[in-house]
Amino acid sequence: MNLGSAHLTALTPMLLVSATIVIVMLAIAFKRRHRGNATLAVFGLNLALLTSLGMLYIGHEAITVTPLFVVDGYALFYTALILVATLATATLSYAYLEGFKGEREEMYLLLCLSALGGVTLACAQHFASLFIGLELLSVPLYAMIAYPVKSRRPLEGGLKYLVLSAVASAFMLFGIALMYSQVGSLLFLDVGAYFAGSASPIAVVGGAMLLIGLAFKLSLVPFHMWTPDVYEGAPAPVANYLATASKVAVFAVLTRYFVEAGGYYQISLVKVLSWLAFLSIILGNVLAVRQNNVKRMLAYSSIAHFGYCMVALIAGGPLAVEAVGAYLLTYVVTSLGTFGVVTLTSSPMGERDADAIYDYRGLFWRRPYLASILTAMLLSLAGIPLTAGFIGKFYAITAGVDAHLWWLLGALVVGSAIGLYYYLRLMVSLFLRDPSNRQFNAPLDWAQRTGGIMTLLAMLLMLAIGIYPQPFIHLLQLASLTLPG
Amino acid sequence: MFEFLFLVFTFPLLGFLTLAIGRQRISENAAAYIGVGSVGLSALLTAIIGWQFYHQPAGFSYTQELWTWMSVGDFSPRFALRLDQLSMLMMCVICGVGFFIHLFASWYMRGDEAYPRFFAYMNLFVTAMLFLVLGDNLLFLYFGWEGVGLASYLLIGFWYQDAANGAAARKSFIITRVGDTFMAIGLFIIFHGLGTLNIQDAMSLAPQKWAEGGTMVTAAALLLLGGAVGKSAQLPLQTWLPDAMAGPTPVSALIHAATMVTAGVYLIARTHVLFELSPFALDTVGWIGGITLLLAGFTALTQTDIKKILAYSTMSQIGYMFLALGAGAYQPAVFHLMTHAFFKALLFLSAGSVILACHHEQDIFKMGGLRKKIPFTFWVFLIGSLGLVAFPLTSGFFSKDKILFEAWAYGHHAFYWMGLGGAFLTGLYTFRLIFIAFFGESRATHDAHAHDDHGHGGEITQPKGGDHTLPLAVLAVAALFGGWIHIPLDAVLPQPAISEAAEHVEYSMMAASVGVSFLGIFLAWFFFLKNPALAAGIKQSAIGQLLFRWWRAAFGFDWLYDLLFVKPYLFIVRLIRRDVADQAIGLLPRLTLAFNSLFSNTQTGQLRWYAGMTAAGAVVVIAAVILI
Repeated sequence: MNLGSAHLTALTPMLLVSATIVIVMLAIAFKRRHRGNATLAVFGLNLALLTSLGMLYIGHEAITVTPLFVVDGYALFYTALILVATLATATLSYAYLEGFKGEREEMYLLLCLSALGGVTLACAQHFASLFIGLELLSVPLYAMIAYPVKSRRPLEGGLKYLVLSAVASAFMLFGIALMYSQVGSLLFLDVGAYFAGSASPIAVVGGAMLLIGLAFKLSLVPFHMWTPDVYEGAPAPVANYLATASKVAVFAVLTRYFVEAGGYYQISLVKVLSWLAFLSIILGNVLAVRQNNVKRMLAYSSIAHFGYCMVALIAGGPLAVEAVGAYLLTYVVTSLGTFGVVTLTSSPMGERDADAIYDYRGLFWRRPYLASILTAMLLSLAGIPLTAGFIGKFYAITAGVDAHLWWLLGALVVGSAIGLYYYLRLMVSLFLRDPSNRQFNAPLDWAQRTGGIMTLLAMLLMLAIGIYPQPFIHLLQLASLTLPG
Repeated sequence: MFEFLFLVFTFPLLGFLTLAIGRQRISENAAAYIGVGSVGLSALLTAIIGWQFYHQPAGFSYTQELWTWMSVGDFSPRFALRLDQLSMLMMCVICGVGFFIHLFASWYMRGDEAYPRFFAYMNLFVTAMLFLVLGDNLLFLYFGWEGVGLASYLLIGFWYQDAANGAAARKSFIITRVGDTFMAIGLFIIFHGLGTLNIQDAMSLAPQKWAEGGTMVTAAALLLLGGAVGKSAQLPLQTWLPDAMAGPTPVSALIHAATMVTAGVYLIARTHVLFELSPFALDTVGWIGGITLLLAGFTALTQTDIKKILAYSTMSQIGYMFLALGAGAYQPAVFHLMTHAFFKALLFLSAGSVILACHHEQDIFKMGGLRKKIPFTFWVFLIGSLGLVAFPLTSGFFSKDKILFEAWAYGHHAFYWMGLGGAFLTGLYTFRLIFIAFFGESRATHDAHAHDDHGHGGEITQPKGGDHTLPLAVLAVAALFGGWIHIPLDAVLPQPAISEAAEHVEYSMMAASVGVSFLGIFLAWFFFLKNPALAAGIKQSAIGQLLFRWWRAAFGFDWLYDLLFVKPYLFIVRLIRRDVADQAIGLLPRLTLAFNSLFSNTQTGQLRWYAGMTAAGAVVVIAAVILI
């Protein structure tokens, strides 16, 4: 296999992220400076983001780089989305870590490493790259979750994620092995060709086990147990990363696997997956209802949201990939804003994050714009028209209606109704009377700081998608996948 | 210049955003500059666009497409503006009259602690109203329609510390919402039947798809009429307008006299094709207008609050416009809309001047003799009143005369007689107000509130200042000479031919309407200035008492609605507080909570349990995949 310049050009975003990792690592070794190291990381990631967006707009034709990777519109779109989420996390971390007593700089290194894993997943078309990408995405995350290593809850969360991830990875690896034993190839397309014919039960079980691993990362019920504990334990910006970049990367590879590796041919698997989606929507929403911890509530709500997104995937058909993309795009933008406000309110880092609903009581009277952003974001999470969330949900429902998934759509409607309740619950508390014993306040000049600017941008983007979605839909159409054969 | 059309509503929108975000940080003067200036820029732009527009060939129209919201199937609503003769005229009224009202308001509201908030709402209103008249499809129009409703609600309840104002705001909001619901259903019918909400397309498709007098078109037209009567305070949804006077007086001038309440007239004129397809609906429009015009006239006769008299008079004048629409006299209806905007805005603003001069006194029986004390205000009020009673050669004369004449000429004699009766009542109640408030002896009692915010002390003195005097003077000129403005509307609104026989009676009709107006004025002079005792005597008689109380309560509509809707509603609510339907709906939350407590127990926080559950889940998934 020869690597030509065309191949290297295609890999530019990935190479830029890798280079950033090396440079940041060397810079930290050379001299520890929070601002300097953070700037380096953000600069490198921005470069990668701009390259990927530029390549996406120019209209890149699909290039296969070694059997492991393919760089097409789809890969570039998700690369960009993951990098946006990573950048947001980096800026939020900067404000947040100001209050951290220990070494701050490694956070950016870990973040870039994890982002590289995400980019790998977006380009993966082979089980080996899938597995490597997934581990590269997850391993830095263990450290990031337990970053304030002297605090109990982050440490606990990090350990839980580590152990349970190992369980899930074991399932996945075994599943891949089972499939390889029948197919004799690790390429998605070969697996797809195999499943198009009659598949042996061993391969089907292998597919199911692979799915279990991915469902764990997406925290679909019943593999969701870790989610609230880990979200609660993780520092707020890391929870943001966990909810956005990490899940989007996994969903991106899952969708490609489904389309290219013949997921839709495995009828029984699709059926099981629709049960998982149904359970995720109902249980995620039900469990969030009485949650007084905002981070846990958002964890449950993310379980439900990936259930919604799964509806779009299960629907299949010509709209599925676009609908999944639309859902993930709107979910990422909205989550960035929501976690952005949570992080800004918790910044600079103190004893604990501002994660009780009580901490947000009367926020509107102290930080009116911040509270307004959170309100808009919660409305978007609830899927109210003229917000991005509406567009995403609209897509998911349209795909579901086309495929006649009535049970799932029923769950989606009921789930959205329950969801509105707990989003409103948080929203109401923003406007209640300001308690006198307040503990948390975003810095007064939050809007002039990088994290604040990011949050504002997320809100503007959210409104832009909601009011004028056409350009974003155009973007999504660039990121389509074609069904083989 | 037409490509800058979108700026007309962008200026007030920016003003609204600036003021809403800046709130109390913006000083009073800055808020005045932003609030008045933004509308001023719009007015300037409107003037330039208007000047260009009237140099275009007749029938010229311009559509500016901003963007498409989203396209789903056949439904692709676009944000587009349409400028034609009708929307040009409405834009002139909104920005022109609106600007002077804003200017006056900057004087009127001085010293109010929420000064920036006031102008934020006012700018929001202007934005929404411009949306309403410029939108090229009914969805966009509806958006503006709801926007003005919201701004009206916010401004009526502007002094929200007084609970009564909040109640008035809610009342107006809810009653207009009843009409809006009808209108929304009407829009659904139009979309269902014609497949488009674009006004021009719908109006050209309607005659092809719907037979004349058909059920669908009648339903659509009547439902649109439902929306129109709600917004324009016509029977049977008229009860909110007098309560709306709880807002600051410039609000009453802008929203509840010059612009928003005429939106119903605009809507019917815009969709006149539908009404022409359904003669029944068109007749209904005329009858509603005629009856409202008379009822409101009688009620105005018995009111004592200066603003409420003007409110009922507005209701009555919009009744004229509806009557004209019902008679097919669309152009006079829109013409009257414009002249009414001039003289009624003037009347409200000068009433505001009176109220401030009298230290927030609104009862005309506590005024008296104001002619000498506030001469300028008296003269502009008189000019406005002359316009209102259609005094020869003032603006109202031309428009009202045209309405009456065309109503007769098109064969709607009943409408003509109702209009003539209304002209008599208008003369009577208008000059009753003038003779009681401005003539005679002063009946003012200044003890409790001898000093007001404006520091004038107890004496009644003529308010001064350019921001007070200029708007009044300009509007007075418009109210006097506005009737000479010739507005071409032929490209938008039809003008049926008038038979020659009818033309002969035009002058005698003119004489008749002037005659009854003068009779009204004369009777007002006779009863309220010359022989007040006689008027009191009539009022004291048994029949007089009965009629007085009946009219004063605006024919008891509030009481009737309370009896018909509010009380039964509350009764039913009490009755079915714990009914089966509630239980069924209550099941979802209870089920949710039950599930919640059930499954919360699974979140033990123990790693071994989580790992176990993951493994168990995996076993179930694998088993399921193999078995099915």
